[in-house]
Amino acid sequence: MEKQSAFNIHPMDQFIIDPILTGDSLEWFSFTNQALWMLISLVSISFVFIYGSRKHQLVPGRLQSIAELMYFFIRDMIIDIAGQEGLRYFPYIFTLFILILFGNVLGLLPYSFTYTSHIAVTGFLALSVFIAVTIIGFVKNGLGFLSLFWISSAPLALRPILLIIEVISYFVRPVSHSIRLAGNMMAGHAVIKVFAGFAGALGLGAVAPIFAITAVYGLEMLVVVIQAYVFTILTCVYLNDALHPGH
Amino acid sequence: MASNSDNSAVGMPQLDFSTFPNQIFWLVVFCVVLFAIVKLFIIPRMEDIFANRRKIIDGNIAKAEEIRLRVSEIEKQIEEELQKAKSQCDEIMNASGHNIKEQMASALEDSKIATAQLISEAEGRLKELRDGSEAAIEKISEELASEIISKISRGK
Repeated sequence: MEKQSAFNIHPMDQFIIDPILTGDSLEWFSFTNQALWMLISLVSISFVFIYGSRKHQLVPGRLQSIAELMYFFIRDMIIDIAGQEGLRYFPYIFTLFILILFGNVLGLLPYSFTYTSHIAVTGFLALSVFIAVTIIGFVKNGLGFLSLFWISSAPLALRPILLIIEVISYFVRPVSHSIRLAGNMMAGHAVIKVFAGFAGALGLGAVAPIFAITAVYGLEMLVVVIQAYVFTILTCVYLNDALHPGH
Repeated sequence: MASNSDNSAVGMPQLDFSTFPNQIFWLVVFCVVLFAIVKLFIIPRMEDIFANRRKIIDGNIAKAEEIRLRVSEIEKQIEEELQKAKSQCDEIMNASGHNIKEQMASALEDSKIATAQLISEAEGRLKELRDGSEAAIEKISEELASEIISKISRGK
């Protein structure tokens, strides 16, 4: 970061939003590296899901298997967690999942930009989920949605205390939901960048940091998928709370 | 703020709030387009593939069920045939047993009648013989008596 002397390491540079078409000025509509990678992600998703399964094969080929695997994985997850009523929201949750998954995975490519490492992006997504789930909860259950905070299975004396805890935890949800994802993405990429900086400075001794990068990269491949999964499964859990607030 | 002026990030670029409107604008555009793709292309296609597969699997299951029914029908037929054959066999055996008994009875009856006839014949003959011998004795004794008389009278 600030160490400009011996090592020339700038692990956070990879997260800089850079307007790539309009020079240096960043307006709200400027096409940036982030927007570019969102576009690439869009193309990749279309490639896997539309090109990959264009033949509607009965016995799927490689790409179609991948598409089907993701599709039915999310579908089954919603049914498992939020029940059959949850399937109504499947398109939204599936969109969320592939948006995060492809953002994370593409972010592992060298020189790429990880849009899910930005708190603005994950925060927006988490807030959308939070607001949508709250609205669904009130629309489906009316004021009965508030029973989510009034734990009727607990002793009466404890309930006011639990009420406070539940309300706080409810409003903390979008924060933890978004920071978990952005933090994981940012940390992994920064670590790789730091090791890469070491490798650049060490000459022949670079074998050790390169080995470390390989190891971290393997770990990151895991983290990247798991974080997309975690974000989606938490969305399902919140949705389930909205659909069935009575625990 | 000036994150890209000196080509090196100061602190976290993620917390540079001046980029937020831009990020959120492109994210919203991205989300809307992606949602449209999911809703218009991906879901119909996946559901179509799944429905097709389901249909074929269901068709195969129905076919298997049909074959199973046919097999059970054939089994029933075999069972029926077997039952029929068994009852036929029983009938034949019963009938032949009956026949044999009847034949034996009639043969016994025949032999009884034959023996009775033989006995009565033999008795008749015996009686005849007895009658015959009595007459002969009488005749002989008569002849003998007349002979004796003539002898006696001649001897005088």
